[in-house]
Amino acid sequence: MVVTAVGLGPHDHLCWAYDDAAEFRDRAIEFVTEGLAGGYRICYVVDGESARADLAGLEGIQDAIHRGAVQIDSLAERYTAGNVIDPERQVEAYAVATESALAAGFAGLRVVADATHLVGSAEQLDAFARYESLVDRYMAGNPFSALCAYDRAELGDHAIAQLACLHPNANSGATPFHLHSSRDADAGELELSGALDMVSHEVFPLALLRTDPRPIGGELVIDATGLDFVDHNSMLAISELAGRSQATVVLRTSGPMPARLIEILGLCNVRAEPPG
Amino acid sequence: MRTGAAAGHQGYFHEAALYGSDDEFLAIVVPFLEDGLKAGEPTLVVLDEPNEKLIRGAMGRAAGLSFLNGAAQYARPASAIRKQRSMLASHVADGAAQIRVVGDVPHPGTGVCWDWWARYEAAVNHAYDDFPLWGMCPYDTRTTPDDVLADVARTHPRIASAAGHHSNDGFEDPIGFLARLGPAGPDPLELAPPSVELKSCTPAAAREAVLRAAAGSDVPAAEVDDLLIAVSEAVANAHRHGKPSVRLRLWAGWERLVVTVADRGRGPADPFAGLVPARNSPGGLGLWIIHQICARVTMCVGEDGFTIRMVAGKPGLPLTL
Repeated sequence: MVVTAVGLGPHDHLCWAYDDAAEFRDRAIEFVTEGLAGGYRICYVVDGESARADLAGLEGIQDAIHRGAVQIDSLAERYTAGNVIDPERQVEAYAVATESALAAGFAGLRVVADATHLVGSAEQLDAFARYESLVDRYMAGNPFSALCAYDRAELGDHAIAQLACLHPNANSGATPFHLHSSRDADAGELELSGALDMVSHEVFPLALLRTDPRPIGGELVIDATGLDFVDHNSMLAISELAGRSQATVVLRTSGPMPARLIEILGLCNVRAEPPG
Repeated sequence: MRTGAAAGHQGYFHEAALYGSDDEFLAIVVPFLEDGLKAGEPTLVVLDEPNEKLIRGAMGRAAGLSFLNGAAQYARPASAIRKQRSMLASHVADGAAQIRVVGDVPHPGTGVCWDWWARYEAAVNHAYDDFPLWGMCPYDTRTTPDDVLADVARTHPRIASAAGHHSNDGFEDPIGFLARLGPAGPDPLELAPPSVELKSCTPAAAREAVLRAAAGSDVPAAEVDDLLIAVSEAVANAHRHGKPSVRLRLWAGWERLVVTVADRGRGPADPFAGLVPARNSPGGLGLWIIHQICARVTMCVGEDGFTIRMVAGKPGLPLTL
């Protein structure tokens, strides 16, 4: 959980559920300012004409736009607005943009996107959540960081939670847990943190479906060192993931609860072991 | 083929053996075990230390007799059922026609509160009935309280004595017995006002209350962790299957933590709830987990709804209602 968009690195992926436009603008400016200072190319993607106004107060903004350090795009240009996103194609597009930024001498790509209008229908939300997870996998290994903003009032807490949980970072109240690609490949493929209980009973199984992880050698290793609590329903959901993936899920955690529940529930396809 | 008094019986042959002396204990139990060994049946001894010593003294190192630690096996009713069912399944898979077990069920005479063991003695008539088990439950009439002996008489369809084996006319249908079982007595800590009271509780708030209370107690960390799981499951069940509001009360002692979670619903309909894993009954699996990890669990339905009580640490003997 974060309280600002300050201090984030080249692989960070922050979800910000905002309550008003000013809050979004403040976070965006923090993220852009540090991005420019870090030598990243900024891609600012919002709906309508507000982008230039949002950034108008930023020192040197005209020069930055002129030298290609800040690109302002509409949602329709960057995404297939109004339609259902194609996760693979969208990640590919950002991969090309990241390569292009590197080729132009930037340290990487940093995107600010207000994606509220891309997740209005259930079908859009499902596809976009899958995209959030897939693009996170790309970010983990490439200099591509992003601030994904969503309007809380327009989308509601349930939709926000479905999106926020697939980011390594989110602001307060957006999600009680996080499931995303691990930034440390040795620690596991996925990283799971936070608390899994009744509150995430619906969202956690959806998140597991949308991450669609790839087991290696029959095992799917999840870095769960940041998992503070897990209940039996969530352990059953993890076991279902193992079944779907035809793999053993290995939870790396020093906490005792997963092992306790694995033993009691007699789960054969989930193992808990201390982090290496 | 099953042998002895249980020959021809289908399912669980559940016997109580009341004895008033060591000699009487041996006169009932030793032939039961010897006959099992003679018939080549898996024959298990799950007794407390003094009784295990008596058997070892009388039977020496009889080949084939298996001794299990009684205190570990009978730590909690739900885990006793889980372990015993797993052990029985394994013997049946190995071709056993009958398995004999003599087991000391705990009660206040051995320093353990009886309420959930009364439920156990009734529920096992159902929970072990898919196995060819002959189970003998010895009770020492010198130390067993009268109310426990009364429950024993209602929950065992068979009685063993030195004179032989006979059916028990006082046996009651387990479902009826469980329905009639009165509410369990409160923990002595509950005489004082609770140290925490939450009138509208979420799982996270319940865990936070437990963590704060545990910091000032001597309850081992592993048992606090188990209580965190238990209160989360209880609050989730209350929200999902009960009626609002969901209230939590917590009493913190040096040796134990007592938590009650209440809602305005009627509680689980399944009379065996908590003792056996009920994947298809609402909240059944959560209740079953709670029963496996707490030091004491009671459930009661009153005029103002359903209350589950969970204890971590060393449970106190309950107050008489």
